[in-house]
Amino acid sequence: MRTYELMFVVDPRVSDEDVVTMTQEYRNMITSGGSTITAEENWGRRKLAYTINKLNEGKYVLFYVSSENGKTTLPEVEHRMRQNEKILRYLTVRTDEDLKRAARRQPAAGTTPAPTGEETAPAAETGPNQEEV
Amino acid sequence: MGRARKVFFRRRKVCKFCADKIDYIDYKDVKLLQQFIPERSKILPRRISGTCANHQRPLQQAIKRARHLALIPFTTD
Repeated sequence: MRTYELMFVVDPRVSDEDVVTMTQEYRNMITSGGSTITAEENWGRRKLAYTINKLNEGKYVLFYVSSENGKTTLPEVEHRMRQNEKILRYLTVRTDEDLKRAARRQPAAGTTPAPTGEETAPAAETGPNQEEV
Repeated sequence: MGRARKVFFRRRKVCKFCADKIDYIDYKDVKLLQQFIPERSKILPRRISGTCANHQRPLQQAIKRARHLALIPFTTD
């Protein structure tokens, strides 16, 4: 089994509702490819460490994906994200090997990051809402 | 007793990750990573931080990932 983490940063001018529909689309893409989303995190609005496209903030969304047979649609998802101008950054990381290695080194205590689907709902930003690509 | 001439002792540096038993260095753990990026936001060398080679490697990887996602800066202007 392979596990992945997919994190992406959305333009802060995109409203929270649009972020939800956007994530829904990606979620569908991932699950339709046979993988499951084990957890999801919405960090909400967060200050960027440096300016991207003249923006100083971004909305962070994180997926924890697990795939049984190692087949995923993540490349397609990445492709879509690359085309979406509202996505400032994305990053997919395969985590199973590193977590396994960490677990082997430390058999008793489980310091693996507990993926909890915590929902943060920051103040809704009303900006120029645009249709997704 | 012992060393009379060498007055100052250098504190023995230990790898933070070995000491705290952190085996998976998460790129999302900004607080942790920030301890290894000083003012200029460069990655703190092992020579200074005392991190062991086995942990410096994933640490470096984590910092670079976090940089890509703008969680920590590449540099401070």
